[in-house]
Amino acid sequence: MSEVLNNRRLAEKCFALASRLSLLLCGSVLLFLLGSIFIKGIGAISLEFLFTPAREFGKSGGIFYQLFGSLLIVFVAAFLVLPIALGTALFQNSYNSNAKLALLLDQCLYALNAIPSVTYGIFGLIFFVNLLNTGISWFVGSIILAIMILPTVTLSSYQAMSAIPKIYHENAAALGLTRAQIIRRVTLPQSFHGVVTGLLIGLSRAIGETAPIMFIATAFSGVQVPHSLVEPVSTLPTHILELAQQSTDPQALRNAWGASLTLVLLAASFSGLALILRSRLKSEGHR
Amino acid sequence: MSNITSLKRGRTARRKSAVQIYCQVSAVLTIVIVSLILLTLLIQSGPVLLAENNGLLGTHWNPDEGVYGIVPMLFGSIFVMIIATLIAVPIGLMTAIYISETRSSKLRRAFKSILELLVGIPSIVYGLIGVAYLNIWIADAFDLQSGRVILTAGILLGIMILPTFLTLSEDAISAVPLKFRENAKALGLYRHEIFKSVIFPQAKVGIAGAGLLALGRALGETMAVMLVIGSLDRLPSPLLNPLSSGQTITSKLGREVGESAFGSTHFSALVFMSLILVMITITLTISSQYFLTRKTAHV
Repeated sequence: MSEVLNNRRLAEKCFALASRLSLLLCGSVLLFLLGSIFIKGIGAISLEFLFTPAREFGKSGGIFYQLFGSLLIVFVAAFLVLPIALGTALFQNSYNSNAKLALLLDQCLYALNAIPSVTYGIFGLIFFVNLLNTGISWFVGSIILAIMILPTVTLSSYQAMSAIPKIYHENAAALGLTRAQIIRRVTLPQSFHGVVTGLLIGLSRAIGETAPIMFIATAFSGVQVPHSLVEPVSTLPTHILELAQQSTDPQALRNAWGASLTLVLLAASFSGLALILRSRLKSEGHR
Repeated sequence: MSNITSLKRGRTARRKSAVQIYCQVSAVLTIVIVSLILLTLLIQSGPVLLAENNGLLGTHWNPDEGVYGIVPMLFGSIFVMIIATLIAVPIGLMTAIYISETRSSKLRRAFKSILELLVGIPSIVYGLIGVAYLNIWIADAFDLQSGRVILTAGILLGIMILPTFLTLSEDAISAVPLKFRENAKALGLYRHEIFKSVIFPQAKVGIAGAGLLALGRALGETMAVMLVIGSLDRLPSPLLNPLSSGQTITSKLGREVGESAFGSTHFSALVFMSLILVMITITLTISSQYFLTRKTAHV
């Protein structure tokens, strides 16, 4: 009897120990990741680093055009994805009453979420760069990133729309508003926070992506501000990739860490902004 | 008078249909995009499937000879994925148990927001960390010439999918109602017994969903793996040796798509590998959604 009790007590001790050790391990990995990015990066970052163009294939100089290219690509992608995501979410919320179609749309969005990022790059290379013959173009990169963040933005908007209490729609309908008027007066203002949050989270994901754009939208060096839609740009992730492949050169590695910290801070500021706006806009919508 | 009302009605009817048409077009566009991607991959896979002696199911990859054996890459992907899972699942699960069972809302919130930050770290930055640290540590630890081996990629990938798995499985464990725990505790059960016989049976669907989603992520990850795996298109020898260089489908694609000529059999073979990958990840993700939504429907 007491032996059984002892065994149980021993198992309990092991269980407690294992879960504590796991937490400790997770915590230290986390600390190591954030710490190394921050400490290595902060030494390389300065105003000069951010605002001067790269020299000697990125080994010296800064990351000005990479920063510009990254921001250009993701903001245009956000601009492209917004109408489609909003329309699809509104369709699901306000017009679609066919359950099979709703399921199909859901599965399509999950499938888009599941497609590996490198496959988007290959699709862009086949469809745009070769079949539509655009050549390497930053705008194609924006289109591909827009497709990639489509599920994020759509699902976030749709969730906010379905969280609106039904009584709002019923009241609006009882007042004689048409469906389009209900969308404009009720659905959109009440779900605005979801749209904005989804868009920002999408942006923070898109800005860090390398694989979708590295074949189709970027060139490594000698690129400045593009003058047309079909010119390549240089971006932060592809810049880090190039520098990481020369990892034996300490100067290149130093710049890679600087670019990494910049990239992480950009991504974190988009998702941080999403968190802040979510709560603020939500309370405003309900006022 | 009646003219005016009919005019008005006509206008509202037209405006309504404009919004409706816009929504319908968007929805159709979403479906078209997905079909277009899958169809493009399928069509472009054609040339290699029709090529004679393509050796697709072999272990030898050599574009000059027209032989495109995808087995080493497929094996590499699965091998790396298994290592990553073996690392992420036990640690993630035990940590999730700790966070949810101590029921300190402060710890939970702090941990969750940091995890969200970790999910936001771009994969290329993980790759850089792999190249700068992990790579060298592994080489030192096992006395290798180069640390760019399958094990390095597996560990790095395990770290990358840990946050995803941890957050989702923690959600699943926390969703089990408090009264079950209280009842079990009142019966004098220890914590590990409560978890094993009360919490786990209820949370396992959600945990499985989290695991499948993490697996999908692991398979599709490109940049970090590409930088640390060593890019060798051969099966490791002996077969289960994690300390040899290898290649995954994604790292192969990342390395070679830029170099192969569009329209060639070589390019088509790469697209075919990508198609296989997409099929696997879509299956994993959609079944994980099935698990995860069933969990919420339950509670």
